[in-house]
Amino acid sequence: MSIMDHNGGSVVAMAGKDCVAIASDLRLGAGAMTVAMNFEKIFPVTDRIYLGLTGLATDITTLRDRFRYLVNMFTIKESRSIEPSTFAHLVSSTLYSRRFGPYFTEPVLAGLERTPSGGFKPYIAGADLIGCLNFAEDFIVAGTASDKLFGVAEGLWEPDLGPEDLFETISQTLLNSVDRDAYSGWGAIVYIITPEKVITRTLKGRMD
Amino acid sequence: MVLTFCPPKGRTTIFSPEGRLYQIEYAMEAISHAGTVLGVLATDGVVLAAEKKVTGKLLDLSEAKEGRYGGSGEKIFLLNSNVIGGVAGITADANSLVNYARSAAQQHLLRYNEDIPVELLAQRLCDLKQGYTQFGGLRPFGVSLLYAGYDPHYQFQLYHSDPSGNYSGWKATCIGANNGTAQSLLKQEYKDDITVEEAIGLVMRTMSKTMDSTTLGSEKLEFAVLTVDPVTKEPRAKIYRPAEIDALLVKHDLAKKDEDAEMKAT
Amino acid sequence: MECSFALTGKDYVIIAADTTAARSIVKMKVDEDKIKTLSPHLLMAYSGESGDTIQFAEFIERNIRLYHIRNLYPLRPQSAASWIRRSLAESLRSRSPYTVNLLIGGFDTADESPHLYWVDYLGTMASVPFAAHGYGSYFALGLLDRYHNPDGSLEEGLDVLRRAINETAQRLVVAPGNYIVKVVDKDGTREIKL
Repeated sequence: MSIMDHNGGSVVAMAGKDCVAIASDLRLGAGAMTVAMNFEKIFPVTDRIYLGLTGLATDITTLRDRFRYLVNMFTIKESRSIEPSTFAHLVSSTLYSRRFGPYFTEPVLAGLERTPSGGFKPYIAGADLIGCLNFAEDFIVAGTASDKLFGVAEGLWEPDLGPEDLFETISQTLLNSVDRDAYSGWGAIVYIITPEKVITRTLKGRMD
Repeated sequence: MVLTFCPPKGRTTIFSPEGRLYQIEYAMEAISHAGTVLGVLATDGVVLAAEKKVTGKLLDLSEAKEGRYGGSGEKIFLLNSNVIGGVAGITADANSLVNYARSAAQQHLLRYNEDIPVELLAQRLCDLKQGYTQFGGLRPFGVSLLYAGYDPHYQFQLYHSDPSGNYSGWKATCIGANNGTAQSLLKQEYKDDITVEEAIGLVMRTMSKTMDSTTLGSEKLEFAVLTVDPVTKEPRAKIYRPAEIDALLVKHDLAKKDEDAEMKAT
Repeated sequence: MECSFALTGKDYVIIAADTTAARSIVKMKVDEDKIKTLSPHLLMAYSGESGDTIQFAEFIERNIRLYHIRNLYPLRPQSAASWIRRSLAESLRSRSPYTVNLLIGGFDTADESPHLYWVDYLGTMASVPFAAHGYGSYFALGLLDRYHNPDGSLEEGLDVLRRAINETAQRLVVAPGNYIVKVVDKDGTREIKL
C-alpha cells in the first residue's frame, strides 16, 4: 500500500454558475483501522477560497498550518486578501520546494476569482504532491476514492449549475464514490462558495 | 535574532555618571510630543483612540477609505486577529515594530495553533526593545505602544510598553502628548464595571479635551474597538474607517459643526 | 505488547497505559509509569521504540514546563497537542525520527472542557472522544464505539475502560498484565486504582 493511502480520505471540487463547491469525507484511518470520524480535510483560506488536502494526514495538518501562515503574511504585507490564482501558485511553489522529499498530499482548491469588471469567476485547481498544477473547467478529484470520483463526476456533472443543484451534484458524487472505497467515508462535509456567502453542510452517508 | 548582526561597538546607550540612560529618556521625550493614543478597558471589550498628526487637504487618504484593515495606517494597527496596537512616537520606528509584532504573532499561531496571548505579544516586543537599550551602536526604538487584546486566559486586556522595554497592564491609560491631562481625566471618570458603549463615550470625551483642535473629525482621529463575537466567541477587532468615525462623533455629539448647515437651519 | 487507552467523559479524560517495559520477548520491568503529567491539567501516555519514548517524553515534558514557568500559565491542551504534533512531524523528516505514539488528554481550564488527542509517530493528530494505541486498539475501539458515553460520569467511564482492558486481556495473546490509570479534570491530574 502506498503512503498516500495510509490515512485514507477523498476530496472533490466542482465549478458551477457563479459558484464553486468543494467536499470531502471525514474519515481518518491508520491503514485499515479507523481512528477518527471527524477529521476535516478542507480548510478556509479566505472568504472565497477553500483548500482541500488529501493524502498523509500529518502532512495535511502541517500544510494547513503552513498555508495559513503564508496567507496571513501575504494579507499583512499586501493589505488585501489573496486571489485563488495567486494562491494556487503559492501551493505549487510550496510543494515544489520539497521536490526531493515531498509532502505526501494532493491538494484541491476551489474559489471565486475576482474579474477586472468586479464580478466573480469560478476557479478550481488541483495539484500533484510536488506541485504540478492542474486547472479544470468542470471538476477536480483527489484521494483514495479518486478513481471512483472521476467516474461518478463524469456522469453527474453538467455545466452552469446553480448553488443548490451544484450541492446536490457534488454530494451525490462524493457519497456514491466513497461507498465503494474502504478508506474513505464516515460522513462528508460540503462547502458551496457563492459571491455573497459560503454554505456549509455536513452529510451522513453509510456510517460504516 | 536581530541582535546577532550588531557587534558591540559604539557607546550609544551607556549609563551617565548619575546612573541614567539618557538615550532612553530622550526617546521618552520624543514620544511625549507625539499624537495622543488612549486606551480604555471595559468589561466586554477594549477601546483605542488616537490623534493623527499628519493631516492636510493634499494628503492622499484614498487607501484609508476602503483598503487596509481600516484606519489610515498612521497610529492604529491590527497586530493580530485578537490584538489591536496603538503607537506613539517615531512613525518609521513604529512601522518596523508593527511588522515585527505581526510576524511574531503569526509565528506563535504556526507553533501553537492558537492566537498569541496578549501579554506574550507585548513581551515579545519588549524583549526586542530592551535589546536596543543595552547593545551598542544603535539607538532605541522611539515608540510607546498600547496593546488592546483578548485571549482566553485573561479575557480583555490593555497593555502599555515604552522604549526601555518595560510593559504594564492598565484599565485605562494614555500615551503621547498631554498624556498627564488625559490620565487624570480617565482616573476621575473610570468605573470598574464600564461597558464598551460607555468606554467609547469616555474615550471620545477625553480625546476632545486633550487634543489641540477644538473640534473632532475623522481627519484628526483614529478609532478602534475590540470585542468578542457573541455567536462564535472569537475576538472581533474593528478599526473604524473615516466615515464610521464621523458617524460615531455625530452619535456622541462631538462632531464638527457644519456652519453652513447651521446658518440654513436658523 | 504495549497498549494504551483513553476516553473522555462529561468533564474529565481518563488515560490508561500498561506498565511493562519489554526488551524483545523479555519483560524487564512491570511497574513502569508511561503516563507523564505535562502540566497541572495535561496528561500524555507514550508508547513505541523504547529509547525514543523516554527521550521524547522528557523533551516534551521539559519544554511544556518551561512555557509554564515563562508565562505563568500553561499551554492549553489544544495548543500543547499542536506543538507536540509538530515536534513529531518535524522529527519524522529528520535524520533520526522518534518512533513514539501518544495519547494526550487535558482539561482546558479556560473553557472548562475535556480534550483528548490521538497522535502517532508520523505526527498525525486527531481530536477524538476515545482512542487507543497498540494491539489493544483492535479490541478496544469496537467496545468503545458501542459503550462510550461522552456525557458519562467518571464511574461510567471507568466501567467502559474496564471492559476494554478485560477484553484485551481475554483475547490478546500478548496482553499486558498491569495498567496505570490516570484522570484529568478541573481539579488537576491524579492516579486511580481500577
